[in-house]
Amino acid sequence: MNKDILIIGAGIAGIQASLDLAEMGFMVHLVEQLPSIGGKMAQLDKTFPTNDCAI
Amino acid sequence: MLDAGRHPNIDLMAYSEVESMEGESGAFEIRICRKARFVNEDQCTGCGTCAEKCPIQVSDSFNMGQGTRSAIYSWFAQGIPSTHTIDAKYCRQLNGKKCGICQKVCQADAIDFNQKDKIVNLTVGAVIVAAGYDIFDPSRIPEYRYRDQPNVITSMEFERLLSAGGPTAGHLNRPSDRTVIEEIAVLEKKAKKSEKMLGKYEEKYKMVSERFYRAFQSGEHGDEKDSVKWADKYKAYLEIKSKREALKTRAERFSTAKNLAFIQCVGSRDFRFYQFCSGYCCMHSIKEAIIAHEHEPETRSVIFGMDIRAVGKGFEEYKIRGGNHSNISYHRGRVAEIRGGPDNHPVVIYEDTISQTVKKEAFDMVILATACAPGKSLKKLASVLDAELDEFGFLKTNHLQPVDTTREGIFVCGCAQSPMDIPESVSQASSAASRAVQVLMTYRKVS
Amino acid sequence: MADQIKKENAEEKPRIGVFVCDCGSNIAGHLDCESVAEYASTLPGVVFTKENLYTCSESGIAEIQQSIKEHHLTRVVVASCSPRTHQPLFAGSCAQAGLNPYLFEMVNIRDQCSWVHMGQRENATEKAKNLVRMGVAKSVTLEPQKEIESSLIRKVLVIGGGMAGLSAADAFAAMGIEVILVEKSGALGGLLRKINRLANGEAAIDVISNLIEKVESRSNISVYTGSEVKSIGGYIGNFNMTVSTGDKNIEESAGCVVVATGALPWVPEGLYGYNGEGVITQIELEDRLKTGALNASQIVMIQCAGARTNNREFCSRICCMTAVKNALIIKEYKPDSEIHILYRDMQMYGTEKEKMLWDARGKGIRFHVFDKDKPPDVKNGKVHFFQPLLGETREIPCDLVVLSTPLLPNENARNLARTFRVPVDQNGFFLEAHAKLRPLDFAADGIFLCGSARYPATTAEARSQGIGVASRAAGILFKEKLVTSAIVAGIRDDTCVGCMICLNACPYQAISFNEISNVCEVNVILCKGCGNCAAACPSHSARLKGFMQKQVLAQIRAF
Ligand SMILES: Cc1cc2nc3c(=O)[nH]c(=O)nc-3n(C[C@H](O)[C@H](O)[C@H](O)COP(=O)(O)OP(=O)(O)OC[C@H]3O[C@@H](n4cnc5c(N)ncnc54)[C@H](O)[C@@H]3O)c2cc1C
Ligand code: SF4
Ligand code: SF4
Repeated sequence: MNKDILIIGAGIAGIQASLDLAEMGFMVHLVEQLPSIGGKMAQLDKTFPTNDCAI
Repeated sequence: MLDAGRHPNIDLMAYSEVESMEGESGAFEIRICRKARFVNEDQCTGCGTCAEKCPIQVSDSFNMGQGTRSAIYSWFAQGIPSTHTIDAKYCRQLNGKKCGICQKVCQADAIDFNQKDKIVNLTVGAVIVAAGYDIFDPSRIPEYRYRDQPNVITSMEFERLLSAGGPTAGHLNRPSDRTVIEEIAVLEKKAKKSEKMLGKYEEKYKMVSERFYRAFQSGEHGDEKDSVKWADKYKAYLEIKSKREALKTRAERFSTAKNLAFIQCVGSRDFRFYQFCSGYCCMHSIKEAIIAHEHEPETRSVIFGMDIRAVGKGFEEYKIRGGNHSNISYHRGRVAEIRGGPDNHPVVIYEDTISQTVKKEAFDMVILATACAPGKSLKKLASVLDAELDEFGFLKTNHLQPVDTTREGIFVCGCAQSPMDIPESVSQASSAASRAVQVLMTYRKVS
Repeated sequence: MADQIKKENAEEKPRIGVFVCDCGSNIAGHLDCESVAEYASTLPGVVFTKENLYTCSESGIAEIQQSIKEHHLTRVVVASCSPRTHQPLFAGSCAQAGLNPYLFEMVNIRDQCSWVHMGQRENATEKAKNLVRMGVAKSVTLEPQKEIESSLIRKVLVIGGGMAGLSAADAFAAMGIEVILVEKSGALGGLLRKINRLANGEAAIDVISNLIEKVESRSNISVYTGSEVKSIGGYIGNFNMTVSTGDKNIEESAGCVVVATGALPWVPEGLYGYNGEGVITQIELEDRLKTGALNASQIVMIQCAGARTNNREFCSRICCMTAVKNALIIKEYKPDSEIHILYRDMQMYGTEKEKMLWDARGKGIRFHVFDKDKPPDVKNGKVHFFQPLLGETREIPCDLVVLSTPLLPNENARNLARTFRVPVDQNGFFLEAHAKLRPLDFAADGIFLCGSARYPATTAEARSQGIGVASRAAGILFKEKLVTSAIVAGIRDDTCVGCMICLNACPYQAISFNEISNVCEVNVILCKGCGNCAAACPSHSARLKGFMQKQVLAQIRAF
């Protein structure tokens, strides 16, 4: 069995999926087209519903 | 985010794209292109000295084109990886001109103008697509005049204005006002330059320009070459100065935007564009109005929407609190048109259903809650992965297998599946991770 | 064991290595790193100093590791940025080079020095020297520690056998994790048993029966219906519980717990003349549709019946969709029936639901908006309501009124919350660890939640969350053993007076009172090392490893 998983896109969804898989012991390859990860969420000032900082 | 950058089980490949895929669930062969950054990822420490010294300034896409960044840049200040990247399109050195300043100032010796795109081949058991969404381009709606009216902006542009790390350091300066301030700065520079020039004549002829000019005008200096030039220069200088003063007087009246209109469903719930509801925009408009009010307690916001969809946990309470404490009012209905008004105050034209009349109201700024458009790259990705899209343009799933695409072993989460907010994206991400593991475990049993 | 570790690295005279980071220009741009490093070399015990451009870079780390070996360092101090981001990297690198990671000390001369004293180079340099001296003094008193390891039971307890709980159980089983599924009622399936059809037209009972069959056929799921969890003890990795099956009590154990107890439609006694006959709820309508007992042809549905009011503020998320779904179903088999939906906001978020709304409009279902302050009036077979769009009161004759009432938390949710020591929100739904970033976790380690127990969810959402929760818990259960930081509190039993101030100060419920010895005790697995108890204890009995009195005092005295 191949224990590697590819994740395409490193917005909040891709990051969360990566962290879950990494914690479960799988090797994750996280591919992002932009120079840094974070997706749209990184561009947001603060986010509902908690209004804490986005990053 | 930091955790993802540091976890030993996560191999981060930013600035990369999937080029092709073969094989099947359990053993997909993937080809990834790691685009050349022209900066060595292992060596760059993200200190930013290069970006400070780079002479080229281009529009900053992280800030939605508001403000500028250098040709060598980090996507945003806290970005992970913090490796800087050279924008090959704008870099002088890479376009055959003489420069290489960044290379000279980089203490970590990380700049590599010869770097090439690199292909990485991987074998993976499963794939998760989390490629997100695009922001709808509101210039497709001519009646909202997004392109013509400087103070009609998108929600994402507004988010950047609210952000302390954004182009205005969190001040709600109106775009039209910012243009004037920028113009003043340009004129200021020009004025300095001509003052220097005039200074040379003044020194040569030991006379201040003003006196010379008066004399010149009364014909005292004839038409010697120097005199004509000096006079021309001085005239141009006076023009710059008067233009600058006029703008400065205008700028004195500028204040931050305090009267805001939020227009909902821009491109969403609209058969001309996307018939679906983007789910999160009602909430982010409320949020943005609350934060604007936090910045400036005199702020008043009107949210124009057909329904206000505050459907998540604690969202209705959030909306009520916003209305009560942040001076937000809600107006039911779709805005018909946005027109230009005096002093760049966009005028919103809408039907007031209570009085049953068409009303007009001018605002300092109008913010368009743009739709969650299916990502342009999603279509390409779907064909690379051979997974189907649904009728709306997102990756197709089935409601009982909400994260399984039509291709076995390929899963989807977040806004690549359908529009959703962060809490939904996060819980769906766990769901996709869970499905991916389940698939891998079935192979373990067989093998 | 403890003695052995002590001998390991902590001999009489510590040999300290100090690394001063320039952080590019972040630190070196505002203070004189070279002189800080030079100064550090004069401090007692310091045998090696080095200034790095970036201590965290690969070359910086290599230098630390090399000098540990070459200079036989027994303490490493790095003066750089924030321990929040970099402590794990540095401490881990020390461990790789054979130095106990708890003999590493970090001094923050960036966030707390160079960044806050920009333009005051001399003062900043002085302060950095002070901070380094304090760090070095503390490092001398550090002791090697061993990370705490505990076993875990690779088994999960799922409470609630509705869509979310069944999906979770199935997902766990597919991941090879054994499941104990406890359902209070006599049958699995939950609310879907009472529902007619799903939005896509499938019969709800078929959907849920398929899933039940799958779950029941799995050899690694034990299903207890008609059962309840009576009591639970233990902690992450090692919970033990008593499950009462009605006639007997069964002792079980599990490493993690999932709460999936769902929610129930509110019964609107006294609202809009509700009587269960001419005025019914959506769930009663589902039943009539299922049994073919619906014989009305002029129907008015009223949304937000008992929701989004002053005393129940929340929006129940799914009832607008339910109303549209049922209206479409009725229209389908009785095309000439007249259906009106009275609403405040049609919450048809997303792709499919908004499409249903367009379809419903296309099929002639009428939508009328009303104001919260002017709710409709149901009287003598007629519904009267003020229509703000037209500015007039309208009257619709009808033979059936259907109230869309919110889903409310299960009645026994509060009891369950007490048993499991997890919180509920102001509406009685279970409260997750973080509304945005940790929707499926409780703040307490090892306990998770999904489905309508958290907040009303559609079938697809409950399914997705159920599947997702398995990934959250497997992150724990797939580990060989639980490893937690050695930086935990301990309470001296010879000086503790049993006042229990610490017990209330602990935000993680890691402290308990031992009735026999009359002292408080720390559960080191639950302890997160926040130090609240150590600060609160009036007899100095509660102490935090790595921040013992002598260590903190050494640091302060060095100032
Ligand atoms: C103005 C605005 C404000 C908002 N405010 C909030 C808020 O306050 N709270 C809230 O909950 N939600 C908010 N949202 C919604 C929120 O942005 C989304 O829920 C969330 O970002 C979705 O995350 P995602 O990971 O699915 O997508 P994205 O954030 O879009 O991430 C997708 C990532 O994938 C990358 N990618 C795309 N294609 C490829 C490819 N082919 N290869 C490699 N990488 C690729 C992209 O570059 C991107 O980094 C807001 C949205 C907007 C527009
Ligand atoms: S969330 Fe609100 S603004 Fe966005 S598309 Fe839906 S109804 Fe329109
Ligand atoms: S989902 Fe619709 S009916 Fe239900 S509470 Fe929300 S707005 Fe009211």
